[in-house]
Amino acid sequence: MRIDEVELGDELPEERPDVSLETVRRFVKAAQMDFPRFTDHDAARAEGLPGAVIPGIMSQGQLAAMIHRWAPGSSILKIDTVFRTPMIVGTPVVCRGAVTGVNDDDTVEIDLTILSEESGATGVLGTAHVRLADS
Amino acid sequence: MADVDIRAERERWVGTVFQEIELTVDPDRMLEWAVTAGETDPRFVDPTHPDFQASTAFPTHVNAARILPDDFPDFGTRGIDGGKSVEWHRPMRAGQTLRATVAIGDLYEKTGRSGTMVFIVNRMTFFDEQDRLVCIVDWRMIRSV
Repeated sequence: MRIDEVELGDELPEERPDVSLETVRRFVKAAQMDFPRFTDHDAARAEGLPGAVIPGIMSQGQLAAMIHRWAPGSSILKIDTVFRTPMIVGTPVVCRGAVTGVNDDDTVEIDLTILSEESGATGVLGTAHVRLADS
Repeated sequence: MADVDIRAERERWVGTVFQEIELTVDPDRMLEWAVTAGETDPRFVDPTHPDFQASTAFPTHVNAARILPDDFPDFGTRGIDGGKSVEWHRPMRAGQTLRATVAIGDLYEKTGRSGTMVFIVNRMTFFDEQDRLVCIVDWRMIRSV
């Protein structure tokens, strides 16, 4: 994708990442953060959470993956995410992105969100500064 | 907490490096991280790709033994994860041995309907073997006081 193909307000194709218990278990092992609050619903409830929660850094990785699929070969110069509401493992989520800036230096700004498909709650908000591959 | 002058503490602490760690980038964990986060770009999921590198959020998992300096002021124990940012300067490669410094990146407060909250930014800065900047990870910790 070239910079002249991108317009302010463009929306990235929505994605529904795999947030199954099995995948979250694999992720937390790779991330060396294998805590029950991420992998065991009962243990998470005992901590006062509504269930096992998707790690915030996994959500950040899912948003980055969405950007890379939208703009193959692009480089994320910066990504910043805020974790607002716990997203529950095994409950479908949807990742969204919209272009909020097209810069003179051939980079773009993207607003990012992850919503729970069940409750509609916003779990993650973020922004990314991205250099496109052909820039 | 009532006696803590945030502005003075900010001046004292921001930029202070209180820990340094060394780590080797494990290719298997790098790959598993990318795959389970849903990456499909071969730069992140194909170890034979000439540009194989860590995926965007990978360095956020690195933890230091201490997240705050030993004599850092007590801003309360009720903590919330305020989010993370990653700023990239060059790719992180499998097998690299990196040095990371841990510092207070920022310190500020905000007051809203639910009271005053203190934001502490834990900043981890990664350098490669040639001491070139690789990436900066900021972790915002919120203390509700």
